[in-house]
Amino acid sequence: MTEKSLFKTATIGLTGAWLGFFVLIPNVMILATSFLQRDEAAFVRLDFTLENYRRILDPVYLQVFGHSAAMALVATMVCLALGYPFAYALARTRPGLRHLLLLLVIIPFWTNSLIRTYAIRSLLATQGVLNKLLLFTGIIDEPLRLLYTGTAVTIGLVYILFPFMVLPLFAVIEKLDTRLLEASADLGAGRFQTFVRVIIPLTMPGIIAGGLLVFLPALGMFYVSDLLGGAKDLLIGNFIKNQFLDARDWPFGAAASVTMTLIMALMLIAYFFSIRKIGKKEIR
Amino acid sequence: MNRILFKIAVPAVFILLSLCIASIAAAKQEVYFYNWSEYLPEEVIRQFTKETGIKVIYTTYDSNEAMYAKIRLLDGKGYDLVVPSGYFVNKMGREGLLREIDKSRLNNFKNLDAQHTDRPFDPGNRYSIPYLWGSTGIIVNSAEIDPETVRSWADLWKPEFKGKVLLLNDVRDVFFMSLRVLGLSGNTTNPDEIQQAYDKLVQLMPNVRLFNSDTPRVPYITGEVSIGQIWNGEAFMAAEENEKFVYIYPTEGAILWMDNLVIPKRAENVDNAHALIDFLLRPDIARAICEEIGYASPNREAVKLLDKDIRNNRTIYPTKEDLAGADFQVDIGEAIVIYESWWEKLKTGR
Amino acid sequence: MRRVKTLYVALIYLFLYLPIFVLIASSFNASKYGTRWEGWTLKWYYQIIDSPLLMHAAINTLIIAFLAATLAAVIGTLGAVSLYRWRFAGKKAFEGLLFVIMMSPDIVMAISLLALFIALGIHLGFMSLLLSHITFCLPFVVITVYSRLSGFDSALIEAARDLGAGEWHVFYRIILPLAMPAVLAGWLLSFTLSVDDVIVSFFVTGPSFEILPLRIYSMVRLGVKPEVNALATILFLIPVVFVSFSYFLLKEKKS
Repeated sequence: MTEKSLFKTATIGLTGAWLGFFVLIPNVMILATSFLQRDEAAFVRLDFTLENYRRILDPVYLQVFGHSAAMALVATMVCLALGYPFAYALARTRPGLRHLLLLLVIIPFWTNSLIRTYAIRSLLATQGVLNKLLLFTGIIDEPLRLLYTGTAVTIGLVYILFPFMVLPLFAVIEKLDTRLLEASADLGAGRFQTFVRVIIPLTMPGIIAGGLLVFLPALGMFYVSDLLGGAKDLLIGNFIKNQFLDARDWPFGAAASVTMTLIMALMLIAYFFSIRKIGKKEIR
Repeated sequence: MNRILFKIAVPAVFILLSLCIASIAAAKQEVYFYNWSEYLPEEVIRQFTKETGIKVIYTTYDSNEAMYAKIRLLDGKGYDLVVPSGYFVNKMGREGLLREIDKSRLNNFKNLDAQHTDRPFDPGNRYSIPYLWGSTGIIVNSAEIDPETVRSWADLWKPEFKGKVLLLNDVRDVFFMSLRVLGLSGNTTNPDEIQQAYDKLVQLMPNVRLFNSDTPRVPYITGEVSIGQIWNGEAFMAAEENEKFVYIYPTEGAILWMDNLVIPKRAENVDNAHALIDFLLRPDIARAICEEIGYASPNREAVKLLDKDIRNNRTIYPTKEDLAGADFQVDIGEAIVIYESWWEKLKTGR
Repeated sequence: MRRVKTLYVALIYLFLYLPIFVLIASSFNASKYGTRWEGWTLKWYYQIIDSPLLMHAAINTLIIAFLAATLAAVIGTLGAVSLYRWRFAGKKAFEGLLFVIMMSPDIVMAISLLALFIALGIHLGFMSLLLSHITFCLPFVVITVYSRLSGFDSALIEAARDLGAGEWHVFYRIILPLAMPAVLAGWLLSFTLSVDDVIVSFFVTGPSFEILPLRIYSMVRLGVKPEVNALATILFLIPVVFVSFSYFLLKEKKS
């Protein structure tokens, strides 16, 4: 065996085996469960049924999914809008300072996110720090009712997921070849043009990575909505957790989880497909 | 190359070492106690170990449902003492997950108040020993709402409370209330009645500012809401913070719950579990627990030892009249699926 | 322009740190419910140090987070390199599984992993916890590292191969140094995730190995105990001290 194949086999083998063992097998179990029936005492009964998937078609669940996706999308967009210039500025500081600044982004996240959510709650409360500050400085005359609104949920999600956007963006922007930017300027492109035509395409892998790392976890973060939004909306995460624990309807919960994964996968594939198509057109 | 190997080797050695330590620890006298979080003072555990030499391995859970799923998956193995609420004692006993408790080994069983033993969820206390109990009722901020005008659950539906009401984020608590307002049993399994309760709740939704089952007293204290559901222990703490908070036992009947000590079927340290139960039933210990945790003790001898202010506080120790119409939640079996689907509709329907 | 940039960066840091400062400040607040300021105190800290259960759980948490982040960084980097370097059978499935981890709601992953561990007879505790944490951290490392690698000019690697470098050499000498910032970023994200996880940990851990997030979760949810703030402050400061120590140590070495 040559050295090439040994390292390659070992690398692919290790990661592949890990995924197969701890991801594939459990998920096959979930998939199988979604075709079984609920049992009051043993959770699942070994009777094949498609009933769980038929129940999912209820428009109520479409609404649940749509609401969760919209919430996660808004949070992702805000994270990107705030995080991109920030990561860019960070990546352009001098090397010694750069990594210290990056570390400072992540450090607040070493405290438990539930505790941070509570901290945000006390910040946004009607008699909270923010309102007191704004009232004191005279910017507003009446306390803002921020808590238990959609805005509060967005603020919470952005706060909790911010580094998941910044770190991949930073990793990509940092290695951006400045010669390409100079070349673009030499060829007569303005700053804006350089940004849109050169920088954005070159940092696209980071934007996509950051987007995924924010969007996907945001879909499941129901406790942020429960704490800051007043738990008045049912999100996918709530719904699946309720099915597994409160209703003890594992097959239905499993079917919901499988459906959600499928819908998301289809949406992502469609997205990548359309990017590739647009990219091809431009080259032509 | 060597450095990488080193980096991998260090954690590996670490893992092996920890495994060895874990296996050595298994040889001692011990009892695995699985309890609600913040439901037992650490001091009590220490005292038990000091007196008996039995080490308590104490871990916690946050909901009956999560505890049940875990015990069920482990098939009743791994834990020696667990504290489910009444309706879960019912369910777990029926499913053969629990071991019968030998009351002849509990010298302190006699300390329990007779009105709290022999409950419908466990006749004759075959599987369970009462630990602490409490109620779900109404809390009112008297600075904004005159508490004299609030008597019943139905008062929450008044239009003037628009956007001021908090409900617990729990399907059973919310539907129980609605069913009682309609004059029905809070433990019904009849689909039509559950649907009627849903229709009634839809009318309440404009009043609801938020659902919260985490620390429901906080939104009241910070002034976000002024009336709604709460547990009596939380209400007591809110009143400690500010006297303007009043706890009310609604006329349709408060929701009662009791948490009970049980031994899972395949527990491995049954003797130690009995010793621990007996210890927890001792008047001085039960009193210490009650005073620290803030919920009512079913232990008659312990209540006698309590501070007068606490013993006579109606929020914690209600009178007979307060509890008129009050009812325990019982296991509703398959009907929970129906409740859950109406609960989902309630939350998405706006 | 420069000043705008500095101001912007400063504002973002303010946004990130304000809640933490509120938290640290309230850990010194004598008020039991923290709704108003009642003077300085250290009593919450004494109560924590006095509780062996909490201290024990805290140490367990840091050990698990450190090991899980490190092993996830190693395995995840290898995974990202596999995706970047080679075509192999099942590559699409490989990507799909990573996606599935990120998509799976916590409760689904928790229950399916618990069922797997029970079926395999793996003792619930340290080992099951570590395996689970590594698993849910993996995609975060892979995506971060892969996004950095994917823009690189592969000509460099081809040149090295033509000059006779083996795969291991290419990895160790070229890819790893290039990917290092992303590997570190992945490590940091993993550590964060591990310290934060509640639901998966609840199900896959056994009675003999308790970790802090579970305790914190319930302390915040059920008690709003002021000790929590003190605990969070300590938990926040330990890695900070540790990191800044090693940071300066590294700097010293370099100069």
